Amino acid sequence: MIQKKVCMVGVFATGKTSLVQRFIHSLFSTKYHSTVGVKIDRKQVQVGTEQVNLLLWDIEGRTAEQEIPDSYLKGAHAVLYVADGTRRETFEQLFSLRDHVRSAAGDVPSIVALNKYDLKNQWVVAAADGKKLIDGGFHMLTTSAKTGEGVEDAFRWVAKTTLSGATQTVQQPDHHGN
Amino acid sequence: MPDDGAPLTESAGGTRDVAEVSVHELTELRDLLFGAERRQLDELRRRLDTAELTPEELAEKLPQAIVQRSARDRQLGIALAPTVENAIRESVRRNPREMATAIFPVLGPAIRKAIAETMSGLVNTINRAIEHSLSPQGIRWRIESWRTGVPFAQIVMRHALVYRVEQVLLVHAETGLLLAHVPDGSLGDADLVSSMLTAIGDFVNDSFEPKKTGELRAFAAGDLTVLVETGPRANIAAVVRGTPPDSLPAKLQSTIETIHLEWCDPLTAFNGDAAAFTTTRPLLEDCVETVLATDTRAKSAGLRRFAWVIPVLLLLAGGLAWRTARANRQWSAALARLDTEPGIAVIRSERSDGKWRITGMRDPLAVNPSVLMASRGVDTNEVVAHWEPYVSTEPALLLARARHVLAPPGGITLSLKGDTLVASGRAPAFWIIRADGLAPALAGVGAVDLSHVTPGLPASMEPIAAEIESQRTLFAAGSDALDQRAVSSIATVAAKLRELVKAADANRYDLTIQVVGRADPTGTEKDNLALSRRRAAVVRDRLVSLGINASRLSIDASGSGDPIPADASAERARLNRSASFTIRAQPSLNANVAERQR
Repeated sequence: MIQKKVCMVGVFATGKTSLVQRFIHSLFSTKYHSTVGVKIDRKQVQVGTEQVNLLLWDIEGRTAEQEIPDSYLKGAHAVLYVADGTRRETFEQLFSLRDHVRSAAGDVPSIVALNKYDLKNQWVVAAADGKKLIDGGFHMLTTSAKTGEGVEDAFRWVAKTTLSGATQTVQQPDHHGN
Repeated sequence: MPDDGAPLTESAGGTRDVAEVSVHELTELRDLLFGAERRQLDELRRRLDTAELTPEELAEKLPQAIVQRSARDRQLGIALAPTVENAIRESVRRNPREMATAIFPVLGPAIRKAIAETMSGLVNTINRAIEHSLSPQGIRWRIESWRTGVPFAQIVMRHALVYRVEQVLLVHAETGLLLAHVPDGSLGDADLVSSMLTAIGDFVNDSFEPKKTGELRAFAAGDLTVLVETGPRANIAAVVRGTPPDSLPAKLQSTIETIHLEWCDPLTAFNGDAAAFTTTRPLLEDCVETVLATDTRAKSAGLRRFAWVIPVLLLLAGGLAWRTARANRQWSAALARLDTEPGIAVIRSERSDGKWRITGMRDPLAVNPSVLMASRGVDTNEVVAHWEPYVSTEPALLLARARHVLAPPGGITLSLKGDTLVASGRAPAFWIIRADGLAPALAGVGAVDLSHVTPGLPASMEPIAAEIESQRTLFAAGSDALDQRAVSSIATVAAKLRELVKAADANRYDLTIQVVGRADPTGTEKDNLALSRRRAAVVRDRLVSLGINASRLSIDASGSGDPIPADASAERARLNRSASFTIRAQPSLNANVAERQR
């Protein structure tokens, strides 16, 4: 089974944890957020014949001034950004957030979940903003923690994208030993 | 094409000079035409023949050759190792300072790490010893230490040696992903734990100046300890129940080093597929172990084997306590009994040196105290007694002493009335004389009353006297007339009296017979006295008529005041309407003198 480390990052109170809560297998309580600053969950996704085990590092939501610890980001195979469609600053901060993530984890596949789609009438993020994300190299989905819309799609995209990278790596010849 | 200056052909003999000139010219021509190529060919041929590189060539090729060969296999390392070792040895021999300076940056942290680990282990042991000092387990161990004489610290260490490595996880260092895990199925969420372990390690490293203190190496929860040994690309974590031994981190370190060596490429290329690491499982399984301190087990088994000792000891202690209590009770009872015993006065009693000690006074005629104590259950072997002899004036002892000194015959009863010793019954005259003389000398005896003692008779007289005294001459109620049976009875008495008189004469005894008349209780006592006197007189007269000397006979009247006893009142009345006979005999004066002389 292929395993992938996926970091979930987002500004404070973007609904990151509640977004994935009912789609994942959880062993640890949310109190890890306030203590260690990260909670690990698992999401299994079937891609073709391959089952991918996504280890989700649900990293504590930070304010704009706080930086996510590099150590939690290192080695990530993909990053799932979460922004709140009803709070424009959470969207604005995505680019600076990505710069920081890139410095720690490299240029890994990135997907933005624009959350709280169930409150679409209160949205302050326009279609042009979505295009800006896509142009900036993000994959983007609208999601709703309330209805669950878009969440499975987000994980499937992450699994598929990281798997294609893994396949290339795995195909390298194994030279260890004599 | 020929490659030297030899002639191409040999010409005929006559044209030799011409031919030599032609060869020379040809050679020159050839040099002109092919000189450069010829030199190149010569160089190539020389290289082929010698197959050796010049130093310049080697310097050019060496770095590249090393890189290429190292990528292919380990032969270069193997080949260079002895040379490098020799070179290092030689270098150290020539100038140790140079080498020390070179490796100092490596050596310093390594030494610090080793010292830190040793100190950590020591502190851990001390902490554990302190922690166990006051716990129930610690108290048990203290008792064990006290019982076995083994130092407490050693007991703690012995118990602390028990541990079990329950799980071992191989974790990719950068991503925290699980590479391998043993034993299978022991941890359902091993992948989550693996990542979380990495996250916690990262958290600790970020929070507590990791660059100075090093990686998170161990943490404990209850009796579980998680030991982590880190490597550049992978970490190994062991979940240990109990106290991990000092050797375990070293074992884990060695395992993670081997994995880095043998699985170097898969670790470098790891991108989420842990399939290549299933082959690390045997190595990880080597770390899974359960170690029980065998001496602890043997000790417990030994203790279990002697578990019966405790109830037996308790029983023995209980038995001993019960026995002691019983002995105390018996001793107290015996003392109380001794105190009430005539002729024994207890002055002091105590328990010392496991013995009962008793001091007092004892009349020689009192009971044996040892026998009395033994009868109360006291073990007389446990008693040390000291009795001072004394003379007791207690009645019981006084009577005992009187009996001892006077040796009264069977017919005599001794009793005390105040300080007067009273004797009653029949006794030989000489005993009466002796008692009269000895008794007043007895301690505690104020006076002697022998008035109730009837002098006894010699053996030849006694049966006849007894037979006469057993005879009754019965009368009808209110009558003093002799009927036929009465006449017959008196005749018998008369015959016996004659025998007795003869015997008395032979024994030189003075003999008199008193006839006592009686009456039943009916009527007045005055009438009864008169009637009884008449009855006595009738009998006396009859005896006289039968030849008995009247001077030997006297009469007495009892009335109904001193009746002959009988169970039924009718029988008592019948027996007391009678006359009876009392023999009074005493040695004649001459005989008395002879007795005293004897």
